Amino acid sequence: MSVKNHLSLESIRCVRGDNTLFSELSIDAENGDLLRIRGENGSGKTSLLRIIAGIALADAGKVLWNKKTIQESDSFATDIAYLAHRDGIKSELTAIENLKFYQQLYNQNDTEKLMNVLDALDISHIYPLPARQLSFGQRRRLGFARLLLSSTKLWLLDEPFTGIDVSGRELLEQHCVDFLNQGGMIVMTHHAELEHSELIQREQSVDLTSLNIGRFQSEMETI
Amino acid sequence: MWQAIKNFYHRMGTPREFYRIAGYWIPIFGVCFAVLFIVGAYLGLVVAPADYQQGDSFRIIYVHVPAAWMSLFVYVVMAFAGAIGLIWRMKMAFIVMITSASIGATFTFIALATGSLWGKPTWGTWWQWEARLTSELVLLFLYIGIMVLYSAFTERKTAEKAAAILCIVGVINIPIIHYSVEWWNSLHQGSTVIREGGPAMPASMLTPLLLMALSFQFFYGWLLFIKARTQALTQEQGSSWVKQIIESKQVK
Amino acid sequence: MTAKQSTSHFSSFTLFLRRECFLLWNNQENVIQPLFFFLITISLFPFSLGSDPELLKIIMPSIAWVAIVLAIMMSLNSLFRDDFEDGSLEQWLIGNRSLALIALAKIMVYWLFNGVFLAILACIVCLSTNISFEQIKVLFASLLLGTISLQLIGGIGAALTVTIQRSGLLIAIIVMPLFIPILIFGAGAVTRSIAGESVAGALYTLATLAVLSITFAPFGISFALRNTIE
Repeated sequence: MSVKNHLSLESIRCVRGDNTLFSELSIDAENGDLLRIRGENGSGKTSLLRIIAGIALADAGKVLWNKKTIQESDSFATDIAYLAHRDGIKSELTAIENLKFYQQLYNQNDTEKLMNVLDALDISHIYPLPARQLSFGQRRRLGFARLLLSSTKLWLLDEPFTGIDVSGRELLEQHCVDFLNQGGMIVMTHHAELEHSELIQREQSVDLTSLNIGRFQSEMETI
Repeated sequence: MWQAIKNFYHRMGTPREFYRIAGYWIPIFGVCFAVLFIVGAYLGLVVAPADYQQGDSFRIIYVHVPAAWMSLFVYVVMAFAGAIGLIWRMKMAFIVMITSASIGATFTFIALATGSLWGKPTWGTWWQWEARLTSELVLLFLYIGIMVLYSAFTERKTAEKAAAILCIVGVINIPIIHYSVEWWNSLHQGSTVIREGGPAMPASMLTPLLLMALSFQFFYGWLLFIKARTQALTQEQGSSWVKQIIESKQVK
Repeated sequence: MTAKQSTSHFSSFTLFLRRECFLLWNNQENVIQPLFFFLITISLFPFSLGSDPELLKIIMPSIAWVAIVLAIMMSLNSLFRDDFEDGSLEQWLIGNRSLALIALAKIMVYWLFNGVFLAILACIVCLSTNISFEQIKVLFASLLLGTISLQLIGGIGAALTVTIQRSGLLIAIIVMPLFIPILIFGAGAVTRSIAGESVAGALYTLATLAVLSITFAPFGISFALRNTIE
């Protein structure tokens, strides 16, 4: 991954109901950056991730991926992977069927890589099981497997370590470090502190609570 | 010139300017409505001669026909407003759309109710599955759908967009519905067509009808401005310009 | 659109076709329940109208049409529900993926396993009332064409309400008025055929509506999903 990628948020504003959650939020990130979004519950962390992913629209401002807005960018859909609370895994399909589908969606077809990824996440034994039989932590790892399979350049992680045991968490953090070292870019929300020393070193924080411009004094007349 | 129109358009798009400008228009629309309505009603109910077939019962068309026209007109206005709101993300457009919905539904209901009142002496029943009345009924369902959908969402922004999309889908369907109902009606029964206007109608009957139609237009504008203004105030209650208005009212 | 893009659109279209078939295979209740619902609904009518065979022979096709409209309306709720709740839909929404094609693939599969099966079942039920083969053919054609539009237009309603928890009745309220023209032409075709009149006009209109729905409804669905999920 020698290509330079660039994510840039320009003056993003997010309004929910009558509250402005944040506004004039500008962020830049490049290869190898880990961006951690902090904030109280309800400060708009998930909303921000969804805006970056292009699922929700910002009330003002733009998200640029390699100098193009994400709506115009041709590569964005395959350059980005988003791991949300809802993991996008079909309960009625087996682990391997779920991953195969995502692999094809990312225009790949490499069964060996798939098994390697399952191995790397220590869940190779569960591949023939329907996803509904998996424990929460196993499911979470399966969601992570989707990230590793994709050759995406940007990961958006929404509380990725929730419900995962200590060993699993070390494993996942190590995968994040590897991804960053290969030139990936991560934007994540996470309520607790990170543990891996290299992650902590790379971490840059954005605190949404401090950007909250006051819930009763929204400046909506400027539109 | 074009620039001036554009500026005006954008100013009307913000709740604050809308509130100010609508404030001027409300009395004008109110007066126009009142004058036209009184003249139209007098000409229609007193001056115009009774119909040689239907007697005085035909006079209900002076409410029925304008209401039916308005029911369609308001729906088209809503679809345009919804499209403007979706494309340019204009707050006021959504407010106009959603406040129009209840007004339009009321016009539709009035058209149906008066149609059925007229039907009793003419057909002998309150309701006949006649093409125009049936289309009107479907239109009422469309209005109800939009209002129900809008109120089902907790987040107003989402509700506005969803209602606008449904409104546009509905307006595309209106000609299809109209055509289908005409087609369906031609199968089930012959010719109980309401004789409502056309060139056959003498001027003494037609003039009041047109006056009433015009007065209904002003009535809609008047109601819309009042309701949209209230809605704008409610939605923007957190912003400084609303606070200023409230303070200035309290001083008085 | 470049050639590369169009091939990738096509391959993602076929990918989703296969996926939806596979998912329906795993969720067979989504295919079977509408069929049962249809059978039960259609059998309510003789209970309410009486068992006069001459009457039933005339009205059975029309009843079948109403029952199919209801069955499809009831099935709409599950169209995007699972995909929304497990987060799959969010994944399709990322970036500028062609959601319209995904929606079209999904609805084509649902049409194949709901619309077509319902049409076949309706014809079997109507055969039991002794109506002529000619009329069965008209009924089948009208149902095949009509269910395409029903499911695509209904898809817009399903997309608009996907974020609302209990949306069953809500979908019915918002899509019912949009279904009326299709019901009119569909049932009208059969009624005209029974009356010995020409049915070509009605069938052509149904075909036109189907083509219009295929062309525009996927964009409506995509637009609705993008605007209600956030």
